[in-house]
Amino acid sequence: MQIAEPGEGQKSAAKRRVALGIDLGTTHSLVAHFNGTDTQVFAEAGSGRRTMPSVVRFTQEAITVGEAALAAAVDDPMNTIASVKRYMGRALDDIDGSALTLTPDHGLSILTERGPVTPVEVSAEILRALVVRAASDLPESPAGVVITVPAYFDDAQRQATQQAAALAGLKVLRLINEPTAAAVAYGLDESVTEGAVLAVYDLGGGTFDLSLLKMHRGVFEVLATGGDTALGGDDIDQAVADWLLSQVAASPANSSEHRQLLMAARQAKEALSSLEVVDVDVLVAGARVSVSLTRAQLEVLMTPLIARTKTVCEQVLEDAAVGRVDCAVLVGGSTRSPLVQSTVADLFAVTPLCSIDPDEVVAMGAARQADILVGNRGDNDPLLLDVIPLSLGVETYGGLVERIIPRNSTIPVSMAQEFTTAKDGQTGLIVNVVQGERERVEDCRTLAQFSLYGIPAMVAGAARIRVTFQVDADGLLSVTAAEETTGVQADVVVKPAFGLEQTDIASMLRAGYEFAAEDMVARQWAEATLEAEQLLDGIHAALESDGDLLTAEERAELDAALIDLASAAKDSGDRSIDTLRNALHETGAAAEQLAARRMDRSIREALAGVGVDQLVVEDGVP
Amino acid sequence: MTTPTSGTQGLPDFFTLLGIERRFDLDLDQLGDRFRALIARFHPDRFVGATAAEQRVAAQWAAHTNAAQVTLQDPVKRAGYLLSLRGVVLADAEREPVPGEFLMQQLLLREQAAEAQSDSDARETLTATVDALWQSTLASFREAMERDCLRDASSAWVKMQYVAKLSRELGLPVKG
Repeated sequence: MQIAEPGEGQKSAAKRRVALGIDLGTTHSLVAHFNGTDTQVFAEAGSGRRTMPSVVRFTQEAITVGEAALAAAVDDPMNTIASVKRYMGRALDDIDGSALTLTPDHGLSILTERGPVTPVEVSAEILRALVVRAASDLPESPAGVVITVPAYFDDAQRQATQQAAALAGLKVLRLINEPTAAAVAYGLDESVTEGAVLAVYDLGGGTFDLSLLKMHRGVFEVLATGGDTALGGDDIDQAVADWLLSQVAASPANSSEHRQLLMAARQAKEALSSLEVVDVDVLVAGARVSVSLTRAQLEVLMTPLIARTKTVCEQVLEDAAVGRVDCAVLVGGSTRSPLVQSTVADLFAVTPLCSIDPDEVVAMGAARQADILVGNRGDNDPLLLDVIPLSLGVETYGGLVERIIPRNSTIPVSMAQEFTTAKDGQTGLIVNVVQGERERVEDCRTLAQFSLYGIPAMVAGAARIRVTFQVDADGLLSVTAAEETTGVQADVVVKPAFGLEQTDIASMLRAGYEFAAEDMVARQWAEATLEAEQLLDGIHAALESDGDLLTAEERAELDAALIDLASAAKDSGDRSIDTLRNALHETGAAAEQLAARRMDRSIREALAGVGVDQLVVEDGVP
Repeated sequence: MTTPTSGTQGLPDFFTLLGIERRFDLDLDQLGDRFRALIARFHPDRFVGATAAEQRVAAQWAAHTNAAQVTLQDPVKRAGYLLSLRGVVLADAEREPVPGEFLMQQLLLREQAAEAQSDSDARETLTATVDALWQSTLASFREAMERDCLRDASSAWVKMQYVAKLSRELGLPVKG
């Protein structure tokens, strides 16, 4: 932590910091690191495989992740969790059909012989395993990670991803959209010509995404995104498996046979990317039968699924109102299929880019972005502008949705809506926040209920409660509220409709730490003193250059806070972590005024008399 | 329920922020250039390693810059914003009765739009009519603002909303 020159990030950081890019995928996950010149995708020790199956097995004895868990999937389907990404930020009611035993705890939990686990916990295990895989090849532990999510992941799904990272003890630099990461991997953010429109077609194991991006003077904008959370290579496997069964006129005897069948279907599908025909061994009802599958037949099976992706593409093109696409990027293992490649070429009238392994391209882009965000690139960073994928609104009379933030708004975004009271003396208000494009609340996703308390008692309709909805650069929502006529801040209590509450995460974190209490204190102390040191250095530097921005009184207040912080950070034996944290908080608050005014000064300087062209050159943005 | 507004308060107005003259007719290329220069400074990605205080401030400025671009780029939103800067309460302006004559014309045009779906000649005529209506609505807004008559400008702004909606439904660009 340091106070950076406004707009200049951390260019003064001399030493390269390590940051990782993580593709937390539905069927498999990857972890990559960009060292300034090359991107390394980390492989499993021994096997050398770089994609890790997103599969976690929970038994009495152990938690296993990846290949080992996948290997056990056939024999132990009830305790082996695959495609957990489909469950992230979801409630039990949202899931139709699962081989697992699901319960409604925390919205949705999976019952294993180790007890119930939430999708967030399962994802945290995958993240931990990925970081362990990378750690042995890295000089230091990562300062942060960039995790990719499907472009249209809603707030609940993004929150859940964020929580999984917190549970795994990772600092998330940013959640970025998978298609955007793919474009970054190809360096398109720096290489394409002004005004070029890019289409990123991502047909992964479990999800389909299409994003349209546009390059504008060093700024990379997401024009529109669309997709289908329940469409991917898994569905092709299923279609192939169904066809195989129709050929042998039998059904699998048990879930183990079913899984083996799906695996055989998948292998056949993959082989047909380069071969014209394969023989598939099918084990049904205890008998082994060989079935011949041609590429032509596979393409017949795939056609309805590929047609669904085409419909999405056409909708997104219409949404974005763009006439032409200059460049298309393929992402996801399913795009190795010649049928998919020719479909994309026809759809956008360009030959799609596929020189980077479509399974690895997202993780590689995430690694590059992580490197930028952690401050290794200085002020020549290309900037990525993202959008909110789904509209945010509130429930109004009659179960209708009032839209507050329309979809495809560039984030961060902040919009306010005024509410009033319905009864005399009313001091509370409940606001139901939904996400989606439909008119009725029941057709949208209810994200959370915000209860506002402490509204001053007035006659009905007199209170003007301004509720501000903010979506940050990660696409995550927060809400504040104030009564306008009196200026009273209302307390907002958030009850997420899905997943875990903050207190759940905190207690899981505590329970999960393998440290003894003493180690825990030492670790916390070390982290907090480091933070204090960096904060003090940063503020001193800011005061040196911009100290004139504070009045004598404000300066005295900040100086006092700095002295308190310096003394709290001294190890005088008692190591009062609470005192130190308190001092950190106080100093941060006292420095906020300075930060705001430095920002003001920076803008005025940027705008005062300087032509925008010069300004752009000065910033190093081409 | 009123129209949602930008959630950032206490920051410079959008024209001042972007350093462009406060008027209805503006250079959209210049607006785009200024927006990108500013967002490149304030985007949270530039402040990942900064203090929490700075991150909050930066996010607020970035949201404000985004709102400025969205508002000023769209002629209807820009007109409404100019009115609100002059102290017009937009929710009140929207509650003012719209002249019956104008509403009748809108109904008629909508009927024609439905009929013109399969008739390309009728569609061409209708497109020309709606475009002319859009231009005249813009002109009356400009003229009212020049006369400093906020009442007439507000009424022109309400009409702009109707015509813009109709134009979008016909697939026409809403420019100005």
